[in-house]
Amino acid sequence: MTISAPRLQVTNVVAGYIPGHPILRGVNLKAEPGRITVILGPNGAGKSTLLKVISGFLPPESGTVHLADSDVSALPPHRHIEHGIAVLPQGRSVFPELSVIENIELGGWTMRSDRKRLREAVEAMLVRYPHLRPLRDRAAGSLSGGQQRAVEIARLLVPNPSVLLIDEPSVGLSPIVAHQVYQELVSLKDEGRTILLVDQDVRAAIGVADYVYVLNSGKNDVEGDRTAFEGDLGAMVRGWLGV
Amino acid sequence: MLNQIATIVADGVLLGLIYAIAGVGLSLVLGIMGIVNVAHSAFIMLGSFFAFELFRRLGVDPIISFFLAFPVFFAAGIVVYRLLITRVELAPQTQGLVAMFGLMVLLESIGTIAWTTDTRVITASYTNTATLIGPVVLANVKVIAGALALVLIVSLWAFLRFTLTGRAIRAMGQDRSAAMSVGVNVRQLSAIMFGLGIACAGSAGVALGMVFPFSPNTQILWLAWAFLVVILGGLGNVGNTLIAGLVVGLIQTGVAAFMPFDYVYLVLYVLLAVILVARREGLSRAVRRGI
Repeated sequence: MTISAPRLQVTNVVAGYIPGHPILRGVNLKAEPGRITVILGPNGAGKSTLLKVISGFLPPESGTVHLADSDVSALPPHRHIEHGIAVLPQGRSVFPELSVIENIELGGWTMRSDRKRLREAVEAMLVRYPHLRPLRDRAAGSLSGGQQRAVEIARLLVPNPSVLLIDEPSVGLSPIVAHQVYQELVSLKDEGRTILLVDQDVRAAIGVADYVYVLNSGKNDVEGDRTAFEGDLGAMVRGWLGV
Repeated sequence: MLNQIATIVADGVLLGLIYAIAGVGLSLVLGIMGIVNVAHSAFIMLGSFFAFELFRRLGVDPIISFFLAFPVFFAAGIVVYRLLITRVELAPQTQGLVAMFGLMVLLESIGTIAWTTDTRVITASYTNTATLIGPVVLANVKVIAGALALVLIVSLWAFLRFTLTGRAIRAMGQDRSAAMSVGVNVRQLSAIMFGLGIACAGSAGVALGMVFPFSPNTQILWLAWAFLVVILGGLGNVGNTLIAGLVVGLIQTGVAAFMPFDYVYLVLYVLLAVILVARREGLSRAVRRGI
């Protein structure tokens, strides 16, 4: 399966939670289709805030977010999926009291007027992630961390989004499961999707990155393709920590 | 003695079903939306007067009014959501509570102006009749009101359990941001949920009005009963609300059969206090937002 995904472009975004005290102070980036674009930076750099702006949860005070030629800056969060933008938030986001299959079905909420297409899309997810099939009637909240993440990814993919915004995908997962998640991100990229990944796990993120942006204090710091960051990662992190 | 116990149990179950619909809308709005709708009982009172006026002016049977009340109060709930709740739902909960308290006082005042504080009853053709089933004597009006309550509760449960919209409402209660991420318009679904809560109150008012005398002031008493059911059953859980309603109904008829009626309140509120101390989440450990 190959997807024709658009480019995501963030231009001069200023945003924050308290008016007059911006977290992001003029951030720019481009995420190209068929590539994993990684955003790194120390705590408080504004990485997750940037994803909130792109996904519509935090309207920017100024600046724009474009998907191809469409300005999506002012779209409310629930309209983003209509434009093919899907979000995998930080931490657990399964609906814990719904079953696995109910969680995955809700991923196709925007397809609800075409039940046949929705059923096919849900079935496609059970084919893609066969280990979820025997768990389909289990409450999602009763699953292990790795299984819950698989449910979240399956739910994310039901409407076949072209742009994926991923925030800290490995938090709380064992190293083996985290590795599987990163490999899945590579598979999704290979399908042609535009992937924007925010991560604290610098080594793992750079391992799958095609292009890297580093934010610091709400501004662009350095950027470059993966090779530019494959050297002394420890020095970069020590720099963030000021040690 | 056995006949008496069978009658007490049957009577308690029927009353319990009616109490359950008095509480279910309150429970869902509180559990899924986090809104303490203290005006819930004012809508129950309006539901009773809705049936009263339709019966008095047009001769409409309360059974029909029960089903008419649902869409009428659903629409009223949507209007209240748009005009009032949207302004307070993201504010601190005390602000929402004050707003709902104000709405309750407003509705009760309107009720008093329209109908005075006189106590009213709806006397349908079956109000003062009874059916003998084996040794058990059942008031027909309680059987009808209980059956209507059961239909409403089962329908509500099935809607939330089996439809995609119902699941989205439950999902919204569990993780609002994740629901938005999958494309759910939470503002729209919240309006539907609040409308459903008020629709339940309206229909509950019809059922209560069929069985009990009522006036605009009795809504405070019903608010206490509704909260009792909600606290006992937990939040946002239709099944547990039903069980809690049945427990309250059975305790009421059981205690009232052997002791003066005033002891009913004593026993119920002691039970409530014990439950709150022993299990702070009510009857179920996994109470919030389970259906």
